[in-house]
Amino acid sequence: MPEAGPSSVADAAPQRAPFVEMLVAFGDQLRDAGLAVGSGDVITYTAAMVPLDPTDLVDLYWAGRATMVTRRDQIPVYDRVFRSFFLGEREDIPEPLRLSLHSAAETQSVLQVPATEPGAEGRDEQEVRLGLMASDAAVLRDKSFAACTTEELAALRRIMARMRLAPPRRRTRRTAAAREGRRPDPRRTVRETMRMHGEPSEIFWRRRRLRLRPLILILDVSGSMADYSRNLVQFAYSARRANTRVEAFCFGTRLTRVTRALERRRVDDALEQAAKAVFDWEGGTRIGASLETFLCDFGRRGVCRGGIVVICSDGLDRGDPQVLATAMERLSRLCHRVVWMNPHKGNNRDFQPSTVGMMVAAPHVDLLLSGHDLRSLEELAALLPELN
Amino acid sequence: MGRPQTVAELTQLLRDGGYLADRGLATALFVALSLDRPILVEGEVGVGKTEVAKALAAVFGRRLIRLQCYEGIDTNQALYEWDYARQMLQIRALSERQLDADDAVDKLFGPKFLLERPLLEAVRAGDRAVLLIDEIDRADDEFEAFLLELLSDFQITIPEIGTIKAETAPLVVLTSNRTRELHDALKRRCLYHWVGYPSPEREVEIVLVRVPAASEALTRKVVAAVNRLRDLELAKPPGVAETIDWVRTLDALGETDLDARTVDDTLGAVVKERDDLELVRANLDGIAPGA
Repeated sequence: MPEAGPSSVADAAPQRAPFVEMLVAFGDQLRDAGLAVGSGDVITYTAAMVPLDPTDLVDLYWAGRATMVTRRDQIPVYDRVFRSFFLGEREDIPEPLRLSLHSAAETQSVLQVPATEPGAEGRDEQEVRLGLMASDAAVLRDKSFAACTTEELAALRRIMARMRLAPPRRRTRRTAAAREGRRPDPRRTVRETMRMHGEPSEIFWRRRRLRLRPLILILDVSGSMADYSRNLVQFAYSARRANTRVEAFCFGTRLTRVTRALERRRVDDALEQAAKAVFDWEGGTRIGASLETFLCDFGRRGVCRGGIVVICSDGLDRGDPQVLATAMERLSRLCHRVVWMNPHKGNNRDFQPSTVGMMVAAPHVDLLLSGHDLRSLEELAALLPELN
Repeated sequence: MGRPQTVAELTQLLRDGGYLADRGLATALFVALSLDRPILVEGEVGVGKTEVAKALAAVFGRRLIRLQCYEGIDTNQALYEWDYARQMLQIRALSERQLDADDAVDKLFGPKFLLERPLLEAVRAGDRAVLLIDEIDRADDEFEAFLLELLSDFQITIPEIGTIKAETAPLVVLTSNRTRELHDALKRRCLYHWVGYPSPEREVEIVLVRVPAASEALTRKVVAAVNRLRDLELAKPPGVAETIDWVRTLDALGETDLDARTVDDTLGAVVKERDDLELVRANLDGIAPGA
């Protein structure tokens, strides 16, 4: 429909320039709030408002959400910016426009930005507060990685950079041309036949491709593991850089996904982001509850299906062992292999788990390693490809 | 049927087709229709993501072209494929009859030997079709790249023939259960809408539209029970589809009330995981109180 394209927005601009400016300013605010809003998205938003009612707040809200939000977790941010921009605190909306903004009466729906979407932002605070009540040991503070000495960091980084994590491969349903295989490749065969002026050529083949299994790291960063946390996050970071199919989570009293934080290009940025993301740095440990959260929020959606799950923890669980047992059982059914790294194992080959958490989890663990030094992390890197 | 002029009109059309869209979804669909943009619908399992496309096709009298994604899906199954068997026979026939090879070989890779798959079919059908690309997250990420040209320009390039462009844009609905993150390049070409669970009142309305035979009193009880189930932190919380299934099940059994016994008997319609069943059975009185 050409009349709704960007060109018509330009046509409409002379009469509606302040309005377009306002939408652009809204896009800017979203960008400031961290949403990746491109100029193209703002043009789409503006174009979307042409067939809609530009003075209707509900239309403004939903059109913007459909055109400039691309992920569920951006919705709370969008709501916050929308509230502050259109519903109040903003001073520089031109006066006539502000007066003409209304909620259209012909629709029964009411715009309930704050009410219907309490959003992840609010929930986070609430959870943190609940977490504090649940475990008196939980400490809510941002632990900065900057405390790491420069030499330490440099040495770690050099070694980590050499580590290439190669999870085992599995055969996929996707095929690729191959010298020999089990499926004929008619496309190549026909092409070759024609090159030979119709003489039947040799038959070409395809075979199923191999693909790395996803690797999911679930790292304990609680008080009892604090000494290892820094190494673990470094490890998670290098794993993330070496292989794109890696998901990383941190937990203490609650679980936090740090995959996105680790996508930052520079090591320091990534570590800083991860430190910000993990609120309960060096608080208590609730492994069972954290694994349960993982299964409900991520496992259920198939994040770890067919993958290798690496849990780094000492198994000192303050929660109910039954919760941990159930969670481990479900985890072992969902993923391909479970690797548990326990720093207390050290170099002891006949290590017997002594904590309740470890004993409960042990039947569902395929491989138990230590994670107390870089050497043991290298051991993991070496054993990983054989976990098929 | 022409395009609706207002969001309210579209909402009413969908309602007449048996689909209750809330204001957010209706606005997103309206914008998608007005701007000829594909729309990506994400949401919990069983909240009616696929049904949207079906309802749109039904109310606009368009053909529904559905591409169910799965791991390993590639161009041969999604876009087009050459009819190799016929090509082989043609080659044979040519060599026996010693025809002029130049022209004949050209024809070998002409439309005559091209098999249409859903995406090509949708491009050819244009605005007479609703293209549903279902569960895009199930396809591996390489496949997303095949979709980019289609989603931004509604065209498909076949090396042997050239570019086939849709004369009018089909309405494209993509659904995803978020088993993995989709690539930004794909998302940028689409509008986005997240479908959550409906409010209890709306869910009652939805069930009554889909199961007209059900009594309203029973439906209210079932919806209340399902909402309590969703609060139980189940591994697989029931969606709207499960609510509808449950009401249908009770209806088929001739039950008129929901109490602990009937919940126990018919739980298989809503809860489909063993751990969850145990959890629910331990809380039966909390699910259907006042029985």
